[in-house]
Amino acid sequence: MQERMPNPRNQTVGEKLRHLLISQEGVLFVIMLVSVLFLATRTDKFLTVDNLLQQGRFMTEVGLIAIPMTYIIITGGIDLSVGSILGLTAIVLGWTWQELGFPLELAIITGILSGTVAGFVNGLFIVRVGVPPLIMTLATLALYRGLAEGISEARSARGYPEWFFQLGQGEFLGIPTQLWLLIIAVVIFGIVLARTRLGRALYAIGNNETGARFSGLTVNRYLLFIYTFSGFMSGVAGYIFVSRVSTTRSDMGTGIELDVIAAVVLGGTSIFGGTGSIPGTIVGVVLIQLLKNGLTLSGVTSDATIVVIGSVLIFAILVNNFIQSRRREN
Amino acid sequence: MTEAPLLQLREINKHFPGVHALKDVHFDVRRGEVHALIGENGAGKSTMIKIVSGVYQPETGEIQLEGQRVHFANPREAQRAGIATIYQELGLYPELSVAENIFMGHAPTRKRGFFQTIDWERMEREAEALLAELNIFNLDVQAKVGTLNVGNRQRVEIAKALSLDARILIMDEPTAALTESDVEQLFSIVRLLRQRGVSIIYISHRLNEVFELADRVTVLRDGEYIGANDVGDTSESQLISMMVGRTIENLFPKQAAKIGDVVLEVRNLNRPPLTRDISFSVRAGEIVGLAGLVGSGRSETAQVIFGVLPAESGTILLNGEAVEIHRPSEAVRHGIGYVPEDRGRQGLVREMTLRENTSMAVLESVSQNTFVNRAEERRLANHSIQQLSIRATGPEQIVNKLSGGNQQKVVVSKWLASEPKLLIMDEPTRGVDVGAKSEIHRLMSQLAAEEGLAILMISSELPEILGMSDRILVMREGHLVGEFSRAEATQELIAHAMMSEEARRATGASA
Repeated sequence: MQERMPNPRNQTVGEKLRHLLISQEGVLFVIMLVSVLFLATRTDKFLTVDNLLQQGRFMTEVGLIAIPMTYIIITGGIDLSVGSILGLTAIVLGWTWQELGFPLELAIITGILSGTVAGFVNGLFIVRVGVPPLIMTLATLALYRGLAEGISEARSARGYPEWFFQLGQGEFLGIPTQLWLLIIAVVIFGIVLARTRLGRALYAIGNNETGARFSGLTVNRYLLFIYTFSGFMSGVAGYIFVSRVSTTRSDMGTGIELDVIAAVVLGGTSIFGGTGSIPGTIVGVVLIQLLKNGLTLSGVTSDATIVVIGSVLIFAILVNNFIQSRRREN
Repeated sequence: MTEAPLLQLREINKHFPGVHALKDVHFDVRRGEVHALIGENGAGKSTMIKIVSGVYQPETGEIQLEGQRVHFANPREAQRAGIATIYQELGLYPELSVAENIFMGHAPTRKRGFFQTIDWERMEREAEALLAELNIFNLDVQAKVGTLNVGNRQRVEIAKALSLDARILIMDEPTAALTESDVEQLFSIVRLLRQRGVSIIYISHRLNEVFELADRVTVLRDGEYIGANDVGDTSESQLISMMVGRTIENLFPKQAAKIGDVVLEVRNLNRPPLTRDISFSVRAGEIVGLAGLVGSGRSETAQVIFGVLPAESGTILLNGEAVEIHRPSEAVRHGIGYVPEDRGRQGLVREMTLRENTSMAVLESVSQNTFVNRAEERRLANHSIQQLSIRATGPEQIVNKLSGGNQQKVVVSKWLASEPKLLIMDEPTRGVDVGAKSEIHRLMSQLAAEEGLAILMISSELPEILGMSDRILVMREGHLVGEFSRAEATQELIAHAMMSEEARRATGASA
């Protein structure tokens, strides 16, 4: 982030454009455009407004969770429990509504709140007890999923009223409702990361946690916040998931953490911490979703699709590393 | 002259970027003697033993072993010639057993069909025998080294050196981390080895150990050979003046300052082992120097005040008011700044820009409604660049690209931006060039004199302590053992307080 900001003043439009193009996000964007154009030549079902909006619907959950994941990975941490928190939220929502008789609005809030608490517990152990994030969230990946399965007793909740599906299945101004939510979240939290004290502190922690602490930054408070935030966003994603598929099951969101982390890292966030951005993450999320969809529509089998996505991931990272190292030398 | 020395170094020279670390240094070790090597921090002791043990190669000069000229291209060659080193940071594998550690790299083997396998029984038997030679009978050779205490780990290292048939054993500050009973046992092992004809190069800051253990002593100062004496023919005060006998150059432009009210006062501050019952004060406009050997607890005490290592008991008063400091952010809020010892790890976030670093301690005040005001940050950075004449391309330069001296100036400017009442500076000029050094000194002096800033300065350089301080405190093994006014302080007095056992007893008795 720092390197990409040579004095923004006294630059021509051309120079700015060039800078944007060879930035990490820029390179990724070009790769995405090339992929889209290529897929469009393979099938005419891919590059249609309807299809693309539908893909926007599918990628919202991953996109929402990828925002706090970007924050966390920038600090050098990781959160593997997001999929389980999503599942736990969904189960709590369905269970409090159907079994405990909560009003649905209250059930939604309770669900999201339990996700937030789950994230808070992660943060508390990481900050106070000093458990490494990888270990802590690997443990709660199992723990929260187990909790969800225990509560649900393998039953699924269904039969939600019509209004409940508005968020997951409805449209607003011709665009899927949840996609609006994702767009707003991306704009707000993108600005938070790039412009506020919180954002600055996250980069400082990721580059040198000791140095940040010795500068008087309240490192523990920031870390506790981002893991809690991760729980909250996974909770919101859980609500959207239930609303989209009309039912509640305890295995919801299984494996979503890997999609999220892949998108964040593809988007230029260093797994070692210190660099990364929300625009990059979002391009990563979109690229993965479009590849999945485009390849399937082109008649590629699902096994082969995974292989292609993996290859594109490696290719994109290689190209980016090459361009970024060339850029640093200049 | 008696018999020819076992090991002899002649006119050894070694440079590092910016430093002439060893200048025509001589050194010789006789068979079966304990030879102490002493000198202040940075005198060249470590460089010299690294040359002896093959880690560094000298640029000029020669090394003779039993009268033969030798050349060690790497530590392995020195080891093969019978020179073993026991470093401060012990070089053992904590997850392996005592026997495995002793025989690492040269375990006894036996043939089993086509395979060479380790002969475990023989290895353990031989490990026990080696330890028995050192009169160590209570150490289980199957125990994992990680479960042993520091003293036992050191014994394992000594046994390891003997298993390699070491004729010369180099011990670098071997008692630094030991308890008293471990020290005694170490001494008896050293004496035992001496009887068997092993020569020992013994590096220590503790002069009483030198007198108790060594036969001869060589003194280094600023990379130069000062002299070698028989321990019987020398005295503590003679050794101290050999170590510090340096003229104080006029490097330190200290301005006379008006000393004001007490800014910081600490009473009975405790956080064992390195901060024990510390009480002192710093006044406005005053520079208080805190002297002591490495490991005497100076930095730890500073970090207790700054909240990195919060105090277990005791009181901190700022401007006469008792305050609680549990973490650095609270210290910053109370107007304390801390220029830490390790600038790369603690002082800066080097991957970030000069602008982002200078504002890091004042993020709150350069922000409006949580949004960081970059124009304000840029103004602050430009001001710092001017005030400390930092040589940088501008506010957006990555701090990593600056020289050491300029990086240090960034650390200082970061804390000046926070407008502290008390600035703690831990080794403020370590590893910076002469120009930056005098600029930092000029600035310190100016801030104290003109703005009434209270400064607590930790330094391992006695000339810096004497040149900059209005008052000097001395720490030793976690205790405050001396206090001197600028007028009465001399290098000898302070060095004596830093190193001598009696000094502590004397002040301990009077307190």
